[in-house]
Amino acid sequence: MKPELAGIFVLVAAATVESFAQMFLKIGAAGGPKILSDSCRRRVGRIPFSSIAASWITLGVIAYGLEIFLYTLALHFLDVSVAFPMGSLCFVGVALLSRIFLGETVGRVRWFGVACILVGAAFVNM
Amino acid sequence: MNRNPTKLPGAVVVGLILAIILDTFIQIAWKLSVVHVPVDASVIATIRGALSSPLFYAAMLAFGAQLFNWMRVLARADLSFAQPFTALSYISVLAISCHSLGENLSVSKLFGVALILVGVFFISRTPFRTTGNDRRTPAIPDPLRP
Repeated sequence: MKPELAGIFVLVAAATVESFAQMFLKIGAAGGPKILSDSCRRRVGRIPFSSIAASWITLGVIAYGLEIFLYTLALHFLDVSVAFPMGSLCFVGVALLSRIFLGETVGRVRWFGVACILVGAAFVNM
Repeated sequence: MNRNPTKLPGAVVVGLILAIILDTFIQIAWKLSVVHVPVDASVIATIRGALSSPLFYAAMLAFGAQLFNWMRVLARADLSFAQPFTALSYISVLAISCHSLGENLSVSKLFGVALILVGVFFISRTPFRTTGNDRRTPAIPDPLRP
C-alpha cells in the first residue's frame, strides 16, 4: 500500500476514534447515559458500570490516547498540511454520532457545514 | 458581566491568540517528531521514533496548556464564537509547513482548507444545544482540534 493511502486510512481511523472520544466525554460530563437517546439508553443500561459518569470519562481518555497513537502514525505518512485540515473529519463523525446516539438535531445548515468539510478534505488530498 | 456584548475582554483576545499559537506549535512539533523516521519503518519503530524525540513531549505538554487555555476562553466566551477563530490555525499550519518544512502548496490544498473553514463557520452558526435534557452541561473543549 502506498504511504499516502496508508496515511489517509490511519487518519480516518484517528478522526473516528476522536469522534467517539468526544461523545464519551460528553456523556461523562452530562453525568452518565441519561443524555443518550431512549433506545440507546435501554441497551447501554445492561452494560456494567455504564451508569457511572467516571466510566465514560475514562473511556474518553482511553480513546484520546488511541487517537494520539493513530495521529502520530498518520503524521509519519502524510504532510502536516494535509493531516491537520483532514483531521476536521472528526466534525463529521461527531455530527453523525450526536444524531444517532444522543438524539441531537443536526439541521440543514450543520449538514451543509459537514458537507463543506468532507469536500474540503477531499480537495486537500488532491 | 461585560456590559457591551460586542467588546471583547482582553483575556479572551489573549486566549484566542494563544490558542492559535499553541495549535500551530503542537502540529509542527508533532510532525517534526516523526519526520526523521524512515517511511518504510514499522508501526513500533515509528512510535519509538516519536517517543525518542523531545519535540513529541513538547507537543504533548502544549496539549495540556491548550486544554487549560481553552477552558479559560470558554469560561468567558461562547464556544460558537470562539471556535471559528481557532480554525485560523489551519492557515498558520499550512503557511509554516509549506515555508519551513518544504511541504507542497497546491491550489487544491488551498481550496480544500478554505472549504473546511467555511464548513467550520457554518457549523458554528447552528444552535449551541438542541436537546432538552442537557441544558446545563458545559461544552467539552477539544484540545486536539480547533
